[in-house]
Amino acid sequence: MPDRDTIKNVISEAEPKTIGDYFLLDKKIEEIKKNQEIESESLFKIAILFSFTAKGIKEAINVECCKLGVIPEFFAGDYKQYAQDILNKNSELYRFKPNVVFFFIDIKSLFGENFFSPYQISNEERKRFVEEKIEEVKKLLQTLSKRTSAKIVFHNFEVPCHSPLGILESKEKFGFIESIEYLNSELRKFIKLNSPIFLFDYNSFSSRIGKDKILDHKMYYLADMKIGMEYLATLAKEYLSYIKPLLSLSKKCLVLDLDNTLWGGIIGEDGIEGIKLGPTSEGMPFWEFQKYILELFNRGVILAINSSNNPDDVLKALREHPYMILKENHFASMQINWNDKVSNIKKIAEEIGIDVSSMVFIDDSQVNRQIIKEALPEVTVVDMPEDSSLYLKTIMEIDDFNTFSLTVEDTKRGQMYSAQRERKKFQETSGNIDEYLKNLNTVVTFEKVNNFTIPRIAQLTQKTNQFNMTTKRYLDTEIKNFSENENYFVFSVKVEDKFGDNGITGTSIIEKQGKEWRIDIFLLSCRVIGRAIEKVMLARIIEQAKKEGVKTLIGEFIPTAKNSPAKDFYKDNGFKLAEKKEEFQKWNFELSVSNFNYPDFIKIKNEKA
Amino acid sequence: MKKLKKILAKVLEVKESSITDKTSSENVLSWDSFNTLMIISEIETVFNTKLTIQEAVNVKSVKDIKDILKNHGVVL
Repeated sequence: MPDRDTIKNVISEAEPKTIGDYFLLDKKIEEIKKNQEIESESLFKIAILFSFTAKGIKEAINVECCKLGVIPEFFAGDYKQYAQDILNKNSELYRFKPNVVFFFIDIKSLFGENFFSPYQISNEERKRFVEEKIEEVKKLLQTLSKRTSAKIVFHNFEVPCHSPLGILESKEKFGFIESIEYLNSELRKFIKLNSPIFLFDYNSFSSRIGKDKILDHKMYYLADMKIGMEYLATLAKEYLSYIKPLLSLSKKCLVLDLDNTLWGGIIGEDGIEGIKLGPTSEGMPFWEFQKYILELFNRGVILAINSSNNPDDVLKALREHPYMILKENHFASMQINWNDKVSNIKKIAEEIGIDVSSMVFIDDSQVNRQIIKEALPEVTVVDMPEDSSLYLKTIMEIDDFNTFSLTVEDTKRGQMYSAQRERKKFQETSGNIDEYLKNLNTVVTFEKVNNFTIPRIAQLTQKTNQFNMTTKRYLDTEIKNFSENENYFVFSVKVEDKFGDNGITGTSIIEKQGKEWRIDIFLLSCRVIGRAIEKVMLARIIEQAKKEGVKTLIGEFIPTAKNSPAKDFYKDNGFKLAEKKEEFQKWNFELSVSNFNYPDFIKIKNEKA
Repeated sequence: MKKLKKILAKVLEVKESSITDKTSSENVLSWDSFNTLMIISEIETVFNTKLTIQEAVNVKSVKDIKDILKNHGVVL
């Protein structure tokens, strides 16, 4: 096993600034890797297919990944060979089995002579030429995505700023500049329909750096480098947006301070009329900052408050301030008190049921940020600028919330957690747990697996750690295979109650082996644990098994570091231990002997079941 | 000279103390064509100047670099 800590220690102290620094650190990393005889299996495999000299990019990605604690291994194709690497099915690229491929063809390489002398050909010829190129690129992308299971990150083309026609460029029927915009737009359409392929908007990246600056003409002529050395690290950092979600390093929750973070001034001193928020020069930065945070909430980021204040002052501001964008119901947890910020973060984690390592912390005070960094290094702490006019820019640059897909549950997540907060309050005021469960008015809806539920079922198997009997991870395609195989019974449950809809939060996959049925997957999302949903699910399986004349239902339990909440489930519900091999446990439920009923306080609905 | 030596030592992986005006691609094994580009890129960043392509292709030794920087008005 690689000693990730050794590498992380070497890297974390270093602050590489120039490409030379990256090369030096890269060498150090490679040395450690070599000395420790790291197994290639455990490394994250990155393939780099560039149409120009990519020297330096591997080094920069290597260092940035190691900073995250991810140790990569690289395949860097010879730079004029990318087409052969892709088209030859026995190529080294495919033997390497990449997890992610960064595929970059630059416009000069793609267009060749037609880039430098665009008006040697007519508009009609150009149209044909571009169509051909589009097909060529599509074919490469299709072949690549068919032959690997990697995520493919394809770069669009930099639209040039100059044309030999000057101001007449815009009057051409199908001009040079337009032809590249057209190319980008056609490829964007294609990528939308191909789920393993993602777009890296290189045109926008180069605009951000400055198209006049990103190409170092001298280095281009000397070594065919089409990106200046000083920007390679910037590019590598952008790539992390695609690497983090692949390794489940994405964050789930944004923890916010209030005074001088969500509004200007101090609510306890300035009062609701005094704080700066809204359409004034000083209020706008905070107002727009909140608007952007609301967009993050809408895409599934959980929000929480960690603030030193009197709760009444804050609640009044959240409820009554005319320009307050973020309201009480957007926050899954609100720690507004005079406790220290570290305990508050822990409290938030506990209340929401997530790990502190899934949190991003925003606070204007450097002291507070330092305290969190030291006490809870797993939390991502954003270095907020002094100047509040830079808040929006800062939050837009956070790349920690990326995911490769959004399910309905993701977009509703914020509301669900806020309902969870209400539920908790209700539990605290209920006399006992039975009364609480009864008064929740829970409705569980069963749904047999179908094309609409496949992505969510796969996502649940990939993300659920606590109430998960076997912790087997499945991809969409595998769930689809189960759904088409009549020897499998796959269903999901949707859980609603008086506080709202939790969406699909449980699933089970059962393999039918004649008179024996084996439960392959049985899991519940952490937000519905402790509400007897698991009993409903088990009752449903037993009901179905009886209907089909099954003798024995087999439950398996594979312990992990995190699934202790599920440990006694089979034992407590009429199963008998049949086999124990090291960690693996097999539990049998004899249908002729035992019985199992639905809990009477939960309403059951069946949809397409 | 200290800044320049630092750059050279870093890119070429040699000791700062071993670097003299005579140090060149002829007598340092690690001084290959790519490292020449790296040295140029580092120099440009650290001394905040830009070399022309003619200057760049002629960089072979420490002395060459010092002459170029002198022409750029950089005091070492």
